[in-house]
Amino acid sequence: MEFSPIVDAICEICPGSVLKQTDHHGTHEITVAAESFYEVMETLHGDEKCAFDMLTDIVGIDRLPRTPRFDLLYILLSSRDFTRLIVRLETDEGQDVPSVSSIWHSANWGEREVFDLLGIKFSNHPDLRRILTWENFEGHPLRKDFPLLGKDYDKPFDPTTIEDYC
Amino acid sequence: MGLENQLVGDNVLVTSLTKLVNWGRSNSVWPCTFGLACCALEMIASTLANFDISRFGSEVFRPSPRQSDLIIIAGTLSKKMSVMVKRIYDQMADPKWVIAMGACASCGGIFQSYAVVQGVDQIIPVDVYIPGCPPRPEAVLAGLMKVQEKIRTEKLDQRPDFKSGML
Amino acid sequence: MTERKTITLNMGPHHPATHGVLRVILELDGETIVNATPHIGYLHRGIEKICENRNYQQIIPLTDRLDYAAASANNIGYCLTVEKLMGIEAPKRAQYLRVIMAELARIMGHHLWLGTHALDIGAMTVIFYAFRDREMIMDINEEISGYRLTPSFIRIGGVAQDATDEFIKKVRDFVKWFPKALEGYHTLLTKNKIWTTRTMNIGVISAEEALNYGLTGPSLRGSGVAYDVRKAFPYSSYNDFDFKIPIGENGDIYDRYLVRMEEFKQSIDIIGQAIENLPAGPVHTDNPWVANPTLPEVQNDISALIRRFMIHAKGTPVPKGELYSAVEGAKGELGFYLVGNGNEHPYRLKIRSSCFYLASALPRLLVGHMVADAVAIIGSIDVVLGEIDR
Repeated sequence: MEFSPIVDAICEICPGSVLKQTDHHGTHEITVAAESFYEVMETLHGDEKCAFDMLTDIVGIDRLPRTPRFDLLYILLSSRDFTRLIVRLETDEGQDVPSVSSIWHSANWGEREVFDLLGIKFSNHPDLRRILTWENFEGHPLRKDFPLLGKDYDKPFDPTTIEDYC
Repeated sequence: MGLENQLVGDNVLVTSLTKLVNWGRSNSVWPCTFGLACCALEMIASTLANFDISRFGSEVFRPSPRQSDLIIIAGTLSKKMSVMVKRIYDQMADPKWVIAMGACASCGGIFQSYAVVQGVDQIIPVDVYIPGCPPRPEAVLAGLMKVQEKIRTEKLDQRPDFKSGML
Repeated sequence: MTERKTITLNMGPHHPATHGVLRVILELDGETIVNATPHIGYLHRGIEKICENRNYQQIIPLTDRLDYAAASANNIGYCLTVEKLMGIEAPKRAQYLRVIMAELARIMGHHLWLGTHALDIGAMTVIFYAFRDREMIMDINEEISGYRLTPSFIRIGGVAQDATDEFIKKVRDFVKWFPKALEGYHTLLTKNKIWTTRTMNIGVISAEEALNYGLTGPSLRGSGVAYDVRKAFPYSSYNDFDFKIPIGENGDIYDRYLVRMEEFKQSIDIIGQAIENLPAGPVHTDNPWVANPTLPEVQNDISALIRRFMIHAKGTPVPKGELYSAVEGAKGELGFYLVGNGNEHPYRLKIRSSCFYLASALPRLLVGHMVADAVAIIGSIDVVLGEIDR
């Protein structure tokens, strides 16, 4: 797939949204500004030239001590001719990202996982709660300032402390 | 043997109550299905045709803890699941035994992280540990035989359930 | 006036089917499911966090334990990602051996699916035959790597060691035997009246919805989308082999069953082609950063000894860069997003697990069916919790 018509289509609908374009070992990547993120994703899903109908994955990366702190990557796939596109969004601590779960249903659990492990909140998500850790888990494990062994690793674990939250 | 045989003949067996009860218990240990991760596949392999755990008395793997004697914790115990393990162990009726199968259940295995309990013996008392990642089905059978050996050498009055008056 | 209320039924994390520790909370109106909420995380081991603290070779056994039913395919995915980032390529013989191990793993994973799915629906005989064949593959695994279930045989830059004659003989024997076993499974299930009644027109999902929910693998192909990573983004010499991608029509359980049964046949064909045309040559690249020096070299040459320590204890540095690369695991697209930052540990390794998105589609698949169908549907999408929870 040629990516320049897609980037042109996006720039037509939301001018100034594509900040950067790169190529990672054969996969095209575009960096998108936070303000027009949702429109760009809608275009990528709905527009004739693009038709990226599957959101393969959402990757969250903690870049402490850089500001903005987090990188969010959305890996998209078009089933028409099987090409991939990566959309990168840079976001900071405390900023809410618009949820794309109304566009692709696979974002529902993908965003919950990013919220659980990194603490990035998504607005308009139908059910944003922890998915892999338990409900009253303190902290977000994949952040760089969270220790690998967690809290209280040298004491034996007492399951009654989390009994009501599993 | 000895005097009893001369008195009553060959069709009478004399033994102690402990030995009789232990013989019955050790030869029909029914495990509870509790496969958590990869070790569960080797546990299933040990129940099926090639390795056949039922020739050792474990004929059926009961899904309900109320009907089983033995629980084989096969796999990594995450902290979220530890609540369920404690609940299921408490639901089992006495006498009950526990096998920790695999490296993860024995000591946390290769997963030393914020989400894994480093050994199921932090939650429930364990009788036999089977090392391996995952242990071969023959190792599972050897572990079962160790439990059977342990049952055979138990004294009834030293079991915790004896004190409640039930045998 | 009677009021109609729903009952909440908990299919708890401890249940007799081997799908692992999946919990589904069902709301029932009589026998019909009105709402279904899956809860996961009961096998969350923090693998992604552990990977940030291990060197690249130490992560290989961790990846084995993701989809533990079909372990070799995960290894390949991870090693290919690291190799692409480092810019090295495994030699041809190693690529063919990788294909053989991956397809054997796919057959192993599908055997587990077949046995447990049939067991859940009530056909208890199938699991005995399925595990008889699985034991043969585990013998092959043990022959080549020493492990039955989680071989960890693939290395960065190639494979751990060369194929022995015994391995080639065992693979050839398996290729000759397996079509008869496959015929046996078809006789037991495919035209069985009970099987077809329990699986046809149940758990139907259309192609657009399946793509929207992120399904991949046999569950997506059962709905009619011809997406297979081996054909769409070829890797590891899959272009050299002649195989088809089976596709279903209706997207129900029966179509997913037929797709997987056909995949058995295609996989054994690929293994047959690979073992007959196995090229000669080395099984590991000679890039000094990853090539393990052999024992005679280590015993006689000080620089080889130093290199051995560096590779195993310190690790191999991987250049800065980011990369997404995927392979076709037994359950679907298994992808790895690797962020390397020049030293021996990954900065971030994200595992795109196919079963995660399969489980997320459960609310859509279960609603409207009866409780007994819930077990059949969960069996048909074939989830392995190690991959979901990582």
